[in-house]
Amino acid sequence: MKSRLDLLLLSILLSAFLAWCGSTSALAGGKSAPPLPSATFSMGDSLAEALRPPGSFPGDEGPSLVVFPEQSMPLRFNHQKHVKQLGVGCATCHGAAKTSQKSSDSLLPPATRCDGCHGTNHRKLSQVTTDEPRPLGQCNYCHVGYDPARPNLVARVVVPKPNLRFSHQKHVTGQRIACARCHGKVEEVKLATRDQLPRMKECVTCHVLGSGDGSGGTAALNAKAAPGAPAAPRAKASGACTTCHLTDPNGLLTTTFKSGKLLPPPWLHDAGHGADFIERHKMVAGNDSKFCASCHQERFCVGCHDGNVRPRRIHPNDFLSQHAMAARQDNPRCTSCHQQQSFCLTCHQRSGVTMSGPIGNLAKRGRFHPPKSQWTDAPRTAGHHAWEAERNLNACVSCHQERDCASCHATRGVGGPGPSIGVGAGQGINPHPVGFVSRCQQALRQNARPCLTCHLPNDQDLLRCR
Amino acid sequence: MARGSVRGATGMKARAVNLWLLAGIANVLGWASPARAYETEVDASIAAQYYTLSSPWGDPELRRRRYTETLGLAVWNIQGEGDPRGPRLSFQSRLRLDADFGQSSAERALRNPAYIPGLEQAPLGLMYAYLEGQRYLGGHVGFRLGRQYVFDTLGFWSFDGGLVTLSTPVNLLFEAYAGLEQRGGGLPYLGTRRFEAQGVYRGDRNDYDAAYYPLFLDESKVAPAYGFSVEASGFGVLHSRLSYRKVINRDEVNVSPFLDLGDGQYFLSGNRTSSERIGYSLRADSPKLGALNGSVVYDFYNQIFSQYAATADAYVNSRVTVGLSFDRYTPTFDGDSIFNWFSHSPTTSALGRAEVRFSRRLSATLSGGTRWFETEGYSSNYASRPDTSKTGRLFDVSLDGGARYDYGRGSLGLRAGGETGKRGHRLGGDVTARRRFSTRYDGMCLVSLWDWSDALRPDRDATSLGYVLGGGVTPGPNFFARSRFGLELEHQMNRVVGQRFRALLTLDLTVLK
Repeated sequence: MKSRLDLLLLSILLSAFLAWCGSTSALAGGKSAPPLPSATFSMGDSLAEALRPPGSFPGDEGPSLVVFPEQSMPLRFNHQKHVKQLGVGCATCHGAAKTSQKSSDSLLPPATRCDGCHGTNHRKLSQVTTDEPRPLGQCNYCHVGYDPARPNLVARVVVPKPNLRFSHQKHVTGQRIACARCHGKVEEVKLATRDQLPRMKECVTCHVLGSGDGSGGTAALNAKAAPGAPAAPRAKASGACTTCHLTDPNGLLTTTFKSGKLLPPPWLHDAGHGADFIERHKMVAGNDSKFCASCHQERFCVGCHDGNVRPRRIHPNDFLSQHAMAARQDNPRCTSCHQQQSFCLTCHQRSGVTMSGPIGNLAKRGRFHPPKSQWTDAPRTAGHHAWEAERNLNACVSCHQERDCASCHATRGVGGPGPSIGVGAGQGINPHPVGFVSRCQQALRQNARPCLTCHLPNDQDLLRCR
Repeated sequence: MARGSVRGATGMKARAVNLWLLAGIANVLGWASPARAYETEVDASIAAQYYTLSSPWGDPELRRRRYTETLGLAVWNIQGEGDPRGPRLSFQSRLRLDADFGQSSAERALRNPAYIPGLEQAPLGLMYAYLEGQRYLGGHVGFRLGRQYVFDTLGFWSFDGGLVTLSTPVNLLFEAYAGLEQRGGGLPYLGTRRFEAQGVYRGDRNDYDAAYYPLFLDESKVAPAYGFSVEASGFGVLHSRLSYRKVINRDEVNVSPFLDLGDGQYFLSGNRTSSERIGYSLRADSPKLGALNGSVVYDFYNQIFSQYAATADAYVNSRVTVGLSFDRYTPTFDGDSIFNWFSHSPTTSALGRAEVRFSRRLSATLSGGTRWFETEGYSSNYASRPDTSKTGRLFDVSLDGGARYDYGRGSLGLRAGGETGKRGHRLGGDVTARRRFSTRYDGMCLVSLWDWSDALRPDRDATSLGYVLGGGVTPGPNFFARSRFGLELEHQMNRVVGQRFRALLTLDLTVLK
């Protein structure tokens, strides 16, 4: 009856939560984002691949929204006409690119730059005038959604500053990198949108990752430009993350922005933080922990590896009840985070499941393993403890101390009788793996303690290893 | 940190109050300095957990009343203002108190029938504390001094000592370190046993006589350790790292497991290998094609390759990555442990995986494969054919999946998976929903259903349904910008435990000045 009530309560809570998830309009304290003007680029308006900047993927939905936040550009503009047909160079409108040293600089041309050809006068934005009667001189020729009934009011162009360090001057003037190298074939498109902004994948052809802070000259020479793109300049380019990415005062990359969380792309050292990265991160961190340290402090790692609060992603549900099965399956590998003879054994002793534990727990203890006839007696059968130890010894070590094993496996004459074995313990049942004899001499020389735990110093078996 | 939001009059007032509070506290603590370059970060994390677990036979029942607190202090840019690419000096430290107030005092009373060797109620540990210098001597030399971690192919490890790094113009990085392995112990060591090699049960035996719990070995208070690594990066698509580490046991150690039953008393002294291993890892990745990773570890004491692993991932297109992985692992233990010579067979996993990014909001992964366990001889017919030269194998099959959908202010996550074989199965999944209500409040809900069976202990088979409800609040946008107070309530239902409840209270505070 009680569990039915629990289930009923659970279903009510679930229903309420799902309803809550669905009610996107009921954001407490939040405001809906204003709808984008029709002329703003949307994800559905994919450009032809050849026109996009080098490094873009087919259907990559533009550059990172975290680095280049969503823009609003309610303008009607045709780069193709201006550049290709009218022969207007990039610098004519974007001249500031030659001197800009910050990514926050606005490189959009001022509206007055249009006046010469369009016959307009944008010097005073609250009183824009025109002496051009043709459409090209009218406000709605360029300003999408312009309402003649509300003169001098146009939708604002919003281009948030990129969350990035970047100097156009270094690249354009210093290294003489062509605009197309980063922005693609702008001269072939109408309105240039976020989709024409550079992709990190192209940046790293010069800024070779891992090449250090300003020492990547050799690597940069090896970089290959994307097909069709202008050749990469032969110059040193730092491969350090902090060359381009913003940093916190502690020197780590800033990863939390209003536009989202900065995460590595899947192609960056195979470190895409997908749903299974927690299982895969061992290989990435083991090979190059400094790469992880670009964003993570040690406290992030020790939260799990030396942690004290059970991470549910690793240990789901009632893990206390199912952990014995998980340990036997070696899934996940317990030793990644736990020292068996301190973390595991102490709790197993307290709960009374160990063989050598507090005397006070012995009376209440039942048999943990299968019956003796199957578990320990000869001959070995499928459920014999020897097989279990061979298939995954770590599971045994989380409960058993050396004496539990030595009682039978030590050679005769070693050890006392043990509590349940009887007089003469040290049954001499050889537990060593195949091929042990070829290794025992060196092992004995490096550390004799395990040998002497089971063998007397004058034991013939031991003498063979001396 | 600069924040570029527009504030109203109320916001400005609140900010002024908070800044005043911050300035006041800073002055009290002596941090304030009108023209300083260093940054100070103080953070505290508190977790209180309350739950109960019992023995498979019902008694004893353990009450866990856990209280964990960590306190971190870091000072960045100690070197002062200067070239941002020049030398950089910082200090980082973290203390932890890990208490369980649910313990019975009898469990810690020597000679009591319920006594547990090594059990402590509220150990205080110094997780790490080190001074770090980077980019010295022309940007080529760095160092760390103090208690620190090492992350490499050989595992996650900690020691007290010094580490020096040397980077060269040819993209080779050398690293060498020496010191003492972090081992368990109270003052003055403030250490945890977490980083000791597996297979030994050590602790403080000051009040024990030799025959009492003889296998609870006296803790090795000083265990010298040293190691080095050579890392090569920036060579086109290749990155590799060679790591070596040796730890030495120097204390006098008991070798007889049966002292309490009248056997003789033997001790062994002198330097002994605790562990000595070398590992190598290699990554080759191309942003356009995919990545290959491999690692191998050789254990000198056991004279075996104790681990080797490899993965291959292909970036099929911008949305799909597929891959294969292989992992082979043989348990090894501290050189003092007899378990080294009971270790026979590796556990091997072979998995395939696919990751699909449907959009910026929705991604999913699926992996599956097999894990096999080896035995010397066939377990099924060993009685009639006891041939240890043949290798028997037991296969488990596993399948795991995960998906995540981000919507506006929250996310919906799915994790499901399982593994099944002759020794039983685990199968289940969790659905987690998280949502922010504003910049201050957040909530979460998790529903979990798992089923497991244990062929060796059928009485522990169960189907378990559980849920977690939680929420948190961030005190304010300024002074406690990165702080949070959270509460989670967990309820699990299955036939093994009936109802299990767990309450978790967390408090995270961070002050950056």
